[in-house]
Amino acid sequence: MSSHAATLDHHHDPTTSTGIPNKKLLMWAFLASDCMFFGALISTHLIYRLHPPAGGLDPKVVFSPELTSFSTFILLMSSLMMALAVTAIQKGNLRSCRWSLLTTMFFGLIFLGCQVYEFSHFVHDRKMTLSNSLLGTTFYTLTGTHGCHVAIGVLWLALMYVRSFKPAPGSTLRGWFSHQVLHAVALLGLLLLLLKVTLGFVHALQTEPTVAAGLGHGLRHEALALAGALLTLGACWWFARPRGPVEFDERHAIDVESMGLYWHFVDIVWIVIFTAVYLLEYL
Amino acid sequence: MSAPTAAPAHPAAADHAHGESKFQIYIEIAMILAVITGIEIVAVYLPFAKWLLVSALVVLSAVKFLFVIFYFMHLRWDKPFCTILFFIGLVLAGGTMWALIALFQAEASLPLPT
Repeated sequence: MSSHAATLDHHHDPTTSTGIPNKKLLMWAFLASDCMFFGALISTHLIYRLHPPAGGLDPKVVFSPELTSFSTFILLMSSLMMALAVTAIQKGNLRSCRWSLLTTMFFGLIFLGCQVYEFSHFVHDRKMTLSNSLLGTTFYTLTGTHGCHVAIGVLWLALMYVRSFKPAPGSTLRGWFSHQVLHAVALLGLLLLLLKVTLGFVHALQTEPTVAAGLGHGLRHEALALAGALLTLGACWWFARPRGPVEFDERHAIDVESMGLYWHFVDIVWIVIFTAVYLLEYL
Repeated sequence: MSAPTAAPAHPAAADHAHGESKFQIYIEIAMILAVITGIEIVAVYLPFAKWLLVSALVVLSAVKFLFVIFYFMHLRWDKPFCTILFFIGLVLAGGTMWALIALFQAEASLPLPT
């Protein structure tokens, strides 16, 4: 921990009229407005579920409670890692903050992978599309909007992680901006390729009769994506190697905290969706 | 834009202890959230009255929601204005949901038979 970490008050800012850091106040105002946005989407879904049209799809047949429970657990754990990232940077522990950000990103990616798989399964196997039923229309609109929020959160996490490598002012490192851009491209490329490879293997394991055949099928079809993932992983490791002092420290904790507020909000929206959209259908 | 500035100096040991206790709180909250989620999943298969299960699920979700906003989102330690600001949005959203669901439960709003 650096010397002045203990003297920073991360909850109050005496320089603003409210005593709250402006970035945090802005984020809370945005989240309050986003509550109304999701409130409208959730109530639309509930209204149509309370008055289902005759001959519509049965959610009990369509939904998969095991997969949704797993993705709910993953999102809760990502919230824990995000909270730990904020605490780490507030204490000036940059290394711990970076690992926590990476883990949060990884969990967010797993959640997105589960959602992509779920949507694909519903469309191809359960024949529920956006336009062939009211259930599909309200369900995809609501959960898809939430998924977009998660995707934006993962992107924000990736950019914050890359930003933590920005050299300190006065550093002799040349071309740091292009370095940062390439680092961000490599990290986002790695995330997308990991998503593609994982979904490809899941599909292969489901279509082939044995695990060995599934793995072989997955390796054949995802060889290029797997090579790309390994290449971008190497690039990320190379960009993340120590290059001297960095600018990012506990004074930037408010940026991580604001991002954390957004991420936790995505989690609390899912807490409501999980109960209102999935669990209530099984009663 | 403002950055957090130096507050009256706290003893470093107290800050360290605060950080340690927060870490412990976060782990405990995460475990509680995981257990509540497990209870919710099991509860829907229990042979109890529907109104009881719906009430239980709503209460459990509300508990999870409050744990996340007050601990993970730091509302417990922040100025009350943040809580008020967020709850304005939350109450408006909840009120809109209640009003819409109540409106659509009226007989006049039921879809016409085709």
